[in-house]
Amino acid sequence: MDFYFGLAQIFGVHTLLGLSAYVVLLTGQVSMAQAGFYAIGAYTAGAMTAMFGLHILPAIVIAGLVSAAIACIVGFPALRVKGLMLVVATLAFGEMVRLFFFNLSWQVERGGELFGPDGAEGFRSIRYFPENGWEVWHVTVFIWIVVAVVMAALWWMDRTRAGAVLRAVGHDEVAAQSIGLNLTAVKVGAMTAGGFIAGLGGGIYAHTVTHIEHGVFGVLLATFAIAYPILGGLGSVFGTLLAVLFIQGFLIEGLRFMGDWRSLLFGALIVLAMNLRPNGLLGEHAPRLKSILRLGKPAPDSLETKDAN
Amino acid sequence: MDYFFIIDFVQSLVDGLLFGTTYALIGIGFTLIFGVMRKLNLAYGAAALAGTYIGVAAFLAFDAPPPVVFLLSALGSGIIGIVVYYCCFRFTPTQVPMASLLASVGMLLFIDEAVVHASHGMPVPYPSVFRNAIIEIGDIWVRGDLLFVFGICVVAMGVLFWLLYRTPLGLATRAVSQQPRAAALCGIDPTRVNLLTFGISGVLGGIAGAMTAAAVGVLSPIIALGLTVKGLIAVVIGGLGSIPGAIIGGLLVGASENIFLLLRGVTERDIYVMLMLFLFLTLRPGGLFGSTAGRD
Amino acid sequence: MKLKALLKAGVLGVSTLAMASVAAAQDKTIRIVGFGAASGVVGIFGQNSSAAMSAAFEKINAEGGVELADGSKAMIETEYYDDRCNAEEGISVLRRIASTDALVAIGPTCSNVAEPLFGILQAKVDDEGDTGLQFPVFTDVAIKGGLAGISEWVFRNTPSESQMYDDLFAWLRTNHPDLKTIYGGVEEDFAHSRFTWYSVMKTAAEKHGFEVVGEAQWLLSDTNFSNQARGMRRAEPDVVAISAHPFTTCGMLREMTRQRIQPKILVGLTSSSSLETLSGCANEAEGLTIPTSFAPVNEEAKAAAEAVVAKGGQMDLHSASAWENAMILKDIIEAAEIGGTPETLEEDRRKIRDALAELENAPGLLGSNKRLPDGEAVKPYVFVHAKDGSWDVLHNPGS
Repeated sequence: MDFYFGLAQIFGVHTLLGLSAYVVLLTGQVSMAQAGFYAIGAYTAGAMTAMFGLHILPAIVIAGLVSAAIACIVGFPALRVKGLMLVVATLAFGEMVRLFFFNLSWQVERGGELFGPDGAEGFRSIRYFPENGWEVWHVTVFIWIVVAVVMAALWWMDRTRAGAVLRAVGHDEVAAQSIGLNLTAVKVGAMTAGGFIAGLGGGIYAHTVTHIEHGVFGVLLATFAIAYPILGGLGSVFGTLLAVLFIQGFLIEGLRFMGDWRSLLFGALIVLAMNLRPNGLLGEHAPRLKSILRLGKPAPDSLETKDAN
Repeated sequence: MDYFFIIDFVQSLVDGLLFGTTYALIGIGFTLIFGVMRKLNLAYGAAALAGTYIGVAAFLAFDAPPPVVFLLSALGSGIIGIVVYYCCFRFTPTQVPMASLLASVGMLLFIDEAVVHASHGMPVPYPSVFRNAIIEIGDIWVRGDLLFVFGICVVAMGVLFWLLYRTPLGLATRAVSQQPRAAALCGIDPTRVNLLTFGISGVLGGIAGAMTAAAVGVLSPIIALGLTVKGLIAVVIGGLGSIPGAIIGGLLVGASENIFLLLRGVTERDIYVMLMLFLFLTLRPGGLFGSTAGRD
Repeated sequence: MKLKALLKAGVLGVSTLAMASVAAAQDKTIRIVGFGAASGVVGIFGQNSSAAMSAAFEKINAEGGVELADGSKAMIETEYYDDRCNAEEGISVLRRIASTDALVAIGPTCSNVAEPLFGILQAKVDDEGDTGLQFPVFTDVAIKGGLAGISEWVFRNTPSESQMYDDLFAWLRTNHPDLKTIYGGVEEDFAHSRFTWYSVMKTAAEKHGFEVVGEAQWLLSDTNFSNQARGMRRAEPDVVAISAHPFTTCGMLREMTRQRIQPKILVGLTSSSSLETLSGCANEAEGLTIPTSFAPVNEEAKAAAEAVVAKGGQMDLHSASAWENAMILKDIIEAAEIGGTPETLEEDRRKIRDALAELENAPGLLGSNKRLPDGEAVKPYVFVHAKDGSWDVLHNPGS
């Protein structure tokens, strides 16, 4: 049973990573910096519990806040550019963060042993959960409470003016600007929120794997972060969740019996999925109860889908 | 400043500039595709790698001479480029840029894994020419094989310019990149131009891959990611859509990488390259040669 | 629609697998599962390891299997899971293995998977406050020093690099008294190679009177080594030690040839004593000296190597460990009086752990492996060097 709980932990952590990219993607920006924020969260939270003996909850909140602050600071210069330029700028930032941790050595002594990041050797013994008597399912429940809170917050935000503003910027910047929206504020806001969520996710990740090192937080992880929301569709938070289940549950865990053919299928199925459902598995729009009930009427989509550039 | 430092500095600069031509080629590939389609093809580096492996397969199987290996690498990569176009760009709607972006990521993972699967991830020797030829200018040694790499890359760029500016095909390509709709109205088939662009940029990528492998002498799947990232940086520094920009950008990345390596050591080298890029983006968002700042 | 189908397929895939492994327990079989990277750039390690393991179990089964506590014989059943050298996947795979009736797992291949993986295991046995996983892991490949100390459920049969390099430099000192200086080259962003240079090779070299005149660093995916080689050229070292994996080892060796650096002795990383280095750059690697815990020096080792090749793998120091692990586990199972029934599963795992912990000596292909109290091993080794495109035994300290 622990295996399924462990799997659910991976789903939860990756959902947070995906959601952090989702918020930024709503404004039409592709950010490859999420792995960087995730790394900041992981190292911060790890330091909080393993080095300073904090409880897990304040540790991940601090991790989220630190990531958010850095995301905000980076957002101002980075979001001056967009499109491909932004992809590369954020990629560069993510790599810078990774290389920073690659070079970071900072250990403190606790109970006769050294704890803390040690450069390329990584940061080991982040064993808060097993040391404090948390069973696997306790951890899983904890993670999913955090995920549920984040998802609910995003779902609620999507329903309010904030969500409309984000999507307005995402669909047509010029139009959004012309109705008086402050583009920079909206984008940096989204980036900050994304940084916070990625920080939370990273903080939890560090505790589920007990050892982190710079190599984990590379370009591949950043690509996965944006892959979840794009694959799932930007219509709602459930798209990201579904994509995480698809990638982590089906492609990675479900196909394990296929041996090394699994890795080949992995990429091919993503290509196939994007050709069949270019707007993501759940599509551009959140499935709504109303529209499902009113099947006969065409959905009022035609205006929005015209130009998503 | 002692003598050795100056020698080292000049030497690093020379090596970096020579090696930077491969980054420039990859950069040109990105820029060409971006120019006509306004899209990012992340599978590009992987396609270049796969093409290089096709060349090396010929080398291992038939002991083909280096020129044939290089040619096969370039052509193979061109063909894979076209396959990438069909798999990731042809059938995804143009107004959804994310779809093709992610599809190309899927393709990147697929191609990479296919290469690993075929080669078991083993490094294989790659033929190079003038491997041990060195031109000594005082204490500065210019590597013969890097000069060859440099020469091939320059020739490739020359051919590209000829294609783009002296042939009807090039005219069509440039027309599509400037005004796709107007070009279509003038009877230019955008699909054909796109196809051609993917083919040409694939060939360029293949040459870059082959030259990188020839310079190292060994080929391993891990070089794909480095080429992709460095190529992207080159293109952004030079300015999107600008071919001279990509060339200058590539040389700049190659040179600065080597200089930072000399000054700050290998673990911090890339931090400074990234920082340089970041500064470029914020101070000059359009890149060196980009006319439209931050154009989407 | 398609989506639902896909999801269903996924759920089905997961559940049928779990069920299949439960069903298999009905026969008299013992399950020992291997895991590690079997795809991706480092997939070759897992593929070799998997081949060695299945060859070894096949041999055991052909000789009648293992004897259980009640005197009956059981066949060993094995499987290999791919973790793609990814920490999360490695943990997930181990949890999956622990959820089946497997008695013990052999793996992983990557040190960066091993480290987090050992972290989720219970650190000290019988520690009620520690809720870490209680499952014995007998590592074959992940070689980075000092990892088994993380958990008491972990045992490794990887060679002790500090012992091997210490001896190598001592041997160099005796046989080449004229050698004075050493220059190190290290692949800086890979846990194993980095650890081996800074904590193993360098210490050993200094201990035996070599003067470290410089070190060069590069990264796993680097393609240009001219700066690093230039520093090396100026230092004019007698010995060059390269702690890197085959791809950059080859790149660096080529650059050294180009810059006409001719150290009298070249020392390489244990992991490079595989076929990869030779397939990448046989000419430049000529003379590269490496201590390794496997070489086909006796009949048993030769037969084992042939059996592994027949399974489509290669026998090197890593996959040899997988083979040895299988053989050691057979002895352990018979000595510990394993029940082999679903009811005694927990107990059996514990018995295997305890038996592994108590083991002081284990048979190996090159002789007896000494087991240390922290779960590590000290294995017999030979020094090999690259000669005419193959690895040739240079010196055998055991003979």
